[in-house]
Amino acid sequence: MNCDESRIYLAAYFDNELDVAECLRVQQHLAECADCRRLQQEHATLQTALRDSELYAQPSADFAKRIQASVLQAAVDESRRERESWWARFGGFGWVAATVALAVLAIVVGTLVLNRGSLSPNQLLAGAVVAGHIRSLQPGHLVDVPSSDHHTVKPWFQGKLDFSPPVPELSAAGFPLVGGRLDYMDGRQVAAVVYSHRLHQINVFLWPNHGSVDESIRSDEVQGYQVLHWSSAEMNYWVVSDLNRAELVEFAQFLRSQ
Amino acid sequence: MRSQEKLRRFEEQISPHLRSAYNLARWVTRSHEDAEDVVQEAFLRAFAAFDSLRGDAKPWLLAIVRNTSFDWLKRNRNLAAVGYDDAPDPAEPSPDPEESLVIARDREKVRQALEQLPGEFREALVLREMEGLSYKEIASAVGVPLGTVMSRLSRGRDWLKRILSAPATAKHGEAAAKGGEGGSAR
Repeated sequence: MNCDESRIYLAAYFDNELDVAECLRVQQHLAECADCRRLQQEHATLQTALRDSELYAQPSADFAKRIQASVLQAAVDESRRERESWWARFGGFGWVAATVALAVLAIVVGTLVLNRGSLSPNQLLAGAVVAGHIRSLQPGHLVDVPSSDHHTVKPWFQGKLDFSPPVPELSAAGFPLVGGRLDYMDGRQVAAVVYSHRLHQINVFLWPNHGSVDESIRSDEVQGYQVLHWSSAEMNYWVVSDLNRAELVEFAQFLRSQ
Repeated sequence: MRSQEKLRRFEEQISPHLRSAYNLARWVTRSHEDAEDVVQEAFLRAFAAFDSLRGDAKPWLLAIVRNTSFDWLKRNRNLAAVGYDDAPDPAEPSPDPEESLVIARDREKVRQALEQLPGEFREALVLREMEGLSYKEIASAVGVPLGTVMSRLSRGRDWLKRILSAPATAKHGEAAAKGGEGGSAR
């Protein structure tokens, strides 16, 4: 191998893109040629300089959470679109077919939806609740009214919502109030009341319940977050946190008993 | 694909490459804020197109990040400032090897040199040296033939060597001041 040939191969040699035979030929030439060794040395210096970890660009500390929240939101939206397109397809049958099919449909659609693995309304809502929780953890988003005093937080919601959310005091139980804010959930404005426990934030989303009452606490885990849900005669409750399930259930029991 | 399953597999295969995605976007756009917005958009595109992923996830994701970056630059800046095919190599004499070895260790100089490098060379070098992609993976991420990847790497390296070995007081000082507006990578 001469120098001209070697220079063509040198970069590929350096980038580990040559096969064994080619490597040996380049190495042989390098052993004989000082000029090409100098080139190789330059190459190595440049490579070390470019692989300096300080040059590797780093995003903001909370960037991964921001991306996670937006992907989760996209998943929730996509799942909802899928469900809606199913309804649209079946809605095009016309009256007769619709009436005849209605009883069957309940079963068929239910089965199809399950088989397709689309999310149930409550799973969708749990996804939205977790996305809301992650969003609220971005700097400056947690509360609109920061206060540990429920006499401050509760009146703050007045005039901003068409209902008055209960804001019980739970600091004696180890869950001090952090504040409140407005959020958007299930197609309507909702109250978000924030409590904390040690370093964990707990978001409680609540809005009036016009559906059935189910006071037992349902739990779910989404993206590593614990999500609890129940509905009293007045309110729907969704509780979300990175706290462990046992402690979060304990919190929910305190909240429910108020 | 089942939505929960899709989300789980996306988290498993794509999310680990978030830092690489950001690093590439940061070097292509030369702006921290732009890079974060680009990566967010790229991740949403990747999620929407996730069913079409075949093979290795990293080059696939980086191709999306790269295309999103260029769309972003087209939308938000004049792309004329981004196309570099006609850019002439800097006409400097071959560097004195001793000098180039010394200067290449100055991190800020390297950063500036890389930032003022034509975009296509910079992109190829970032993919090769920082992300460790093979020629073939770079070719598929960038959408050019293998030979073009090799020639861009080689021209980019030559260019860097020339800039880095030029004395700090020479005319490259001005070029660096002009080209370094993007600020420093974090």
